[in-house]
Amino acid sequence: MNARRRRRRNAGDAEISITPMLDIVFILLIFFIVTTSFAKEFAVDMSRPSNAPVKEQKRTELIAVRIEADGRVFVEERAIDIGAVRANIESGLARKPSAGVVVVANRAADAGLMVRVVDQARLAGAGNVSLAAPAG
Amino acid sequence: MAISRRRAAEEEGEISLTPMLDVVFILLIFFIVSTSFVKEPGIDPQRPVAATAAAKVRGNILIGVTEADAVWMQKRRIGIDEVRRLVEAAVAENPESSVVVVADRRASTGMVIDVMDRARAAGVANIAVSAEQEV
Repeated sequence: MNARRRRRRNAGDAEISITPMLDIVFILLIFFIVTTSFAKEFAVDMSRPSNAPVKEQKRTELIAVRIEADGRVFVEERAIDIGAVRANIESGLARKPSAGVVVVANRAADAGLMVRVVDQARLAGAGNVSLAAPAG
Repeated sequence: MAISRRRAAEEEGEISLTPMLDVVFILLIFFIVSTSFVKEPGIDPQRPVAATAAAKVRGNILIGVTEADAVWMQKRRIGIDEVRRLVEAAVAENPESSVVVVADRRASTGMVIDVMDRARAAGVANIAVSAEQEV
């Protein structure tokens, strides 16, 4: 009697069991929680002129920063300390406000130094910092 | 009739699962959307320090360059000539991806530039060099 009453009640409500779906959803949820990595990489954008021949920019529109293999830094052919790069580029930009900064790094120079120079140029307010490497 | 139904509900003691299902679905959608499947390079070099370093949310192709100029990608050491093919394959998977070169601060600039050139040749325009944020 009890069983018959229950069957009739079920037929009237026409419920679908959602438990198996809940199992699948939980498994998916656990998979995505486990695989999600919130490790964000902090990075400095580098624009690199392509290897294809491009039209040469006039020297007056550029501020050239050269990095030697031994770590010496030259701004406009003057040897300066890494701490003074920003101030030198700022004064260069004051003279020619539309100039872009080109960092010419020796291939053997440390990447860390190159990133620091690009960073300092950005801090000095240069909108267009590009990276060049002498061939060889 | 009303009394008998209430008694039946008490006997079975069912809890409605629908609100929990709603919450679980919202969590599921959040995790699906925020998962980006970053391809780890497999090394953790000493990154350079930069004040203008910004978080790269979409930087999901990571190429490592060690102190000794070895190139790592997808948790194995690769040759410089493999970079282009692997980046092309990664871009085919996710066309919106960008490249982050995770270079050691003592790696040589030439190797970092070579890696960047090959990534660019593979068709990625958005390339950055990983750095620690200066405080």
